[in-house]
Amino acid sequence: MSRGSGGGYDRHITIFSPEGRLYQVEYAFKAVKAAGITSIGVRGADSVCVVTQKKVPDKLLDQTSITHLFPITKYLGLLATGMTADARTLVQQARNEAAEFRFRYGYEMPVDALARWIADKSQVYTQHAYMRPLGVVAMILGIDEEKGPQLFKCDPAGHFFGHKATSAGGKEQEAINFLEKKMKNDPAFSYEETVQTAISALQSVLQEDFKASEIEVGVVRKDDPVFKVLSTEEIDEHLTAISERD
Amino acid sequence: MGDSQYSFSLTTFSPSGKLVQIEHALTAVGSGQTSLGIKAANGVVIATEKKLPSILVDETSVQKIQILTPNIGVVYSGMGPDSRVLVRKSRKQAEQYYRLYKEPIPVTQLVRETATVMQEFTQSGGVRPFGVSLLVAGYDDKGPQLYQVDPSGSYFSWKASAMGKNVSNAKTFLEKRYTEDMELDDAVHTAILTLKEGFEGQISGKNIEIGVIGNDKIFRVLTSSEIEDYLQEVE
Repeated sequence: MSRGSGGGYDRHITIFSPEGRLYQVEYAFKAVKAAGITSIGVRGADSVCVVTQKKVPDKLLDQTSITHLFPITKYLGLLATGMTADARTLVQQARNEAAEFRFRYGYEMPVDALARWIADKSQVYTQHAYMRPLGVVAMILGIDEEKGPQLFKCDPAGHFFGHKATSAGGKEQEAINFLEKKMKNDPAFSYEETVQTAISALQSVLQEDFKASEIEVGVVRKDDPVFKVLSTEEIDEHLTAISERD
Repeated sequence: MGDSQYSFSLTTFSPSGKLVQIEHALTAVGSGQTSLGIKAANGVVIATEKKLPSILVDETSVQKIQILTPNIGVVYSGMGPDSRVLVRKSRKQAEQYYRLYKEPIPVTQLVRETATVMQEFTQSGGVRPFGVSLLVAGYDDKGPQLYQVDPSGSYFSWKASAMGKNVSNAKTFLEKRYTEDMELDDAVHTAILTLKEGFEGQISGKNIEIGVIGNDKIFRVLTSSEIEDYLQEVE
C-alpha cells in the first residue's frame, strides 16, 4: 500500500512525488515566471543577442544598479531571468569557475562548457535535500572558436540545450511561438537582423513599444567576440530601425 | 555521503515493506522518452527517441547516447540531468580502474560500480534516488553485452530490452522479433522498427539516436545521415 503523497514532504524538498515528479523543481520554474520579466535570446549567422525588460519599481532607485545582464568573462555573457538574489549567486560562482578554467587549462572556457557546469550544479540542488533549486533560468552567450555563435539556456531542473532562439520568464511560451514562426526556415540573420528580431519579439509579445531605457540588450559578434551590453544610444538606433521598418 | 543536517535517509520503508521513493523514481523513468537495446551475435545496438521541446532547440547540441569508455556506451530513459551525473561518475570509475590495473574495465565491473552509486543514493542521507534507468552496451573479452540498471541499483543482463513511455509495446515487439543469431545490421533494423511502433510523428535521422558496437570493439554514435540510410532500408 503506497503512502500517498510521500508524507507531504514531496512538496517541501526535492524527493519524488507518486507521479514521479519533483514538485520543488516545478515550483522553482513558477518562481522564474513570478518575477514578471520576460527575456529573449536570438542566434544569428555571426552574432548572438539577448534582450530583457528593465523594470525599475521605484523612481528613487538608481537605475544603473538594476541589471540582469552579467559578463562572466570578457567573452561570455549571462542573462539571468527570475529571482535576482539567486541570479547573483549563480553569476558569482560562474565567474569563479570560468576564471579557474582559464587558469587550469590555458584557454577560455567555451560556452557549452560553462552551460554544462551551471546545469550540473543545478542538478545537484534537485537531488540533495539540503539546498533548494535556484529560481533562475540562465541564458549564456558567446562565440565558440569552432562552432561560431552559441546560445545556451540552463534551467532549475538541470537541463541545458543550445538554441537558435529562445525565451524565458513570464511570457515565455508566447515568445517561443513568435520565434518559432520567425526561425522556421533557418534564416541566417545578420547582426542588425538578430538584434531587431530579438527586440521586436519582446515588443510584440508584451504588446508595448519600448524606450531605450526600458530594456537591456547584450550581444556578442564574431568579428568582435567580447560580450557587450549596448548603450542607450545604440539601443535607440535599433528601436528606430524597427519602427521605420514597420 | 550524508549531507549536512540530513544525516537520515529520505528513502524509507513503508508499512508494506516498499521503498516508495524508488517506486516514484521508476514512474519518472516510465514517463521518459522510449529507449531500447538489442544484443546481436556480433555486437550491440542501443537507440532512443530524441524529441526536443521546440524546433528552436539546436539538435546538434544534444546527444543522449554517451560513451563511457571506447568500448562501452550508455543510453537512458528518464531525467536527463540525473543521467549526466551517472555518466560522469562512470567515466571516472573506468579511468581509475585502468590506472590501477592497466587494463580496460570489463563491462560487468563498470555496470556494477554504476549500480552501486545508484543504490547509495537510495540509502544515503539527504538525497533522492536517480530518476533514470540506463542501458549499458559494451563489447569486451566476454563478447557483446547489454545491461539495464534501474533507480534501485539492481541490474540485469538482457538479450533485448526497452524502457520509458512505450515499454510494454516495445518489449512485446522485441520478444517477437528477437533471434539468438541476429547480426548487428539486422539488430539496427529491428531497433528502428521498434522505435517506429510507438513514435508520434515522422521518424527521421534527426529525432532518433542510435549507438552501435561491433567486433571492432569501438562504440560509436551513428550520424543522422547514417540513420537516414538505415531508415530507407527499412521502408
